[in-house]
Amino acid sequence: MNMVQIILIALFVYLGAIGSIVGNTIGWYTLGRPLVASFVVGLIMGDVPTAMLVGVPLQIMYMGNVTPGGAVAWDLSYATYIGTAGALVFGRGMGTTEVIGLAVLFAGIGGLVGGIMWNVSYALNLPLNRIANKYAEAGETKKMYIPNVVCGQLIGFACRFIPAVIVLTSMTAASGQGDFASMIPGWVTTLLGVFGGMMAALGMGIILSFLLKKQYHFAIFLIGFILVTYFGLSMMGVAVVAVLTAVLYFVIVDKMAGRE
Amino acid sequence: MAKKISEKTLKKSFWNWFFWNGCSQQAESMLGMAFGQAMAPVVEELYDTKEEKAEALKRHVTLFNTEAQVGSICNGIVCGMEEANANGECTPEIIGSVKTALIGPTSAIGDSLWVATIIPILLTICLSISQANAAAAWAGPLLYMVIYPVCTCIISWKLYKFGYHTGLEGMQKFMANGKLDMLTDTMTVMGLIVVGALTASFVSMSLPIQIVKDVYDVTTDTVLEAQVLFNADNMLNSIFPNILPLGLTLFVYYLYAKKKWSPMKLMGLILVLAAVLTAIGFACGVYA
Repeated sequence: MNMVQIILIALFVYLGAIGSIVGNTIGWYTLGRPLVASFVVGLIMGDVPTAMLVGVPLQIMYMGNVTPGGAVAWDLSYATYIGTAGALVFGRGMGTTEVIGLAVLFAGIGGLVGGIMWNVSYALNLPLNRIANKYAEAGETKKMYIPNVVCGQLIGFACRFIPAVIVLTSMTAASGQGDFASMIPGWVTTLLGVFGGMMAALGMGIILSFLLKKQYHFAIFLIGFILVTYFGLSMMGVAVVAVLTAVLYFVIVDKMAGRE
Repeated sequence: MAKKISEKTLKKSFWNWFFWNGCSQQAESMLGMAFGQAMAPVVEELYDTKEEKAEALKRHVTLFNTEAQVGSICNGIVCGMEEANANGECTPEIIGSVKTALIGPTSAIGDSLWVATIIPILLTICLSISQANAAAAWAGPLLYMVIYPVCTCIISWKLYKFGYHTGLEGMQKFMANGKLDMLTDTMTVMGLIVVGALTASFVSMSLPIQIVKDVYDVTTDTVLEAQVLFNADNMLNSIFPNILPLGLTLFVYYLYAKKKWSPMKLMGLILVLAAVLTAIGFACGVYA
């Protein structure tokens, strides 16, 4: 990676984090999603096909990471931008499963840094309440943006951009040391492949905890499962079946509600 | 003459909220500062004296939290109440208690319906597009980047206006008539099918145990080298295809939902499991 690429990716790490200047809808929920993040990294690094190769599994793995409440386990934008960049930098000459495993590994490292920085920014934002109260007590309606947008952004930017530049720069320096595809022993790449495949269960398990509310919901989940394993439907096919089932479900429940 | 918030001020207040609701999130007032900033233009327009403005601003920088995208309905409701207050038809105490009361239901709907159901479904559809055609893999993220922000912005604005015009009663009526529950149920059904299919397609796990031996074939009087006599993975999959990925996913679900394991801890567990399985695989000669 050259300096321009590092700065661009670090900038997107910040934009895709919670509370960036573009707002959570465009930032955290769009630029921060692994599917979009890997695409952006692919554009910056000039290798969209490989980036998308790791973007899809990363998205599955982090599907459950959605709630921007107090308990954010990873800063998702850190995890996915750095994960994809790491896979592109170090994965040259490796097979598909190994590249995915590499992305999962780097996403874990990025997420660890992101988790720490999220807590740091969360703590640094606390004193801003004093400023906001001061302006509120003075009735300064024109200055209410200062604590929220100006100060909040300075802290947010410092907590995302600077660490991201450091991580990406050290990754670039490390990748220059040699040809990693031949240096890493075979068992490590095998392990990465196995690990990458199993990590998808994490995203699915967490998202299930939101969706499984009643006992019979488990049966609906299994219908989706066997549509792929026994009937060999593609994801797009399943999506169509899911929409049609939802329509029928809605009509039936609506009819039943009307009869009561 | 009765005071009224102009359309321009409402829009300004909405944009303040839409873009900067999460800027200064922290544990003390959560989204309070952002809410205060969003209310600032409204307060400026409704009240004349510095003292009134200060009073109004002070009650809006206090603790507030919601799922901000669906929660824009709260901003709308509060704008309506501030307008009533400026006309002497409401009291600051009522505004404060309504704000507190709104936190629970709007966060619940926002998190469960919007964030945990609609976003994953949309992501899955876009992801399938990328998956289906490697040459046009860019189409998936591009579609998401357009559809999600635009639709969310429109819906968020509509909810804001709905809240402003109908107030708390309107929201309660809407929530009580059962349509919202039905919508949530329907989206859940759709989400579950999709997640089931995703699990089958993307989670991979195998038990790399096999027994390989040279076998003497009596009929042709030759020794067949390295015949696989037993393969644990094939056996399991002949009972129920992809049973191991299914089991792993449900195990993760159980640990996360019932045992309250953190995602980081789960990730560590999966890494350990992967290491053990890889070691077994090498010992049995499945991986070489």
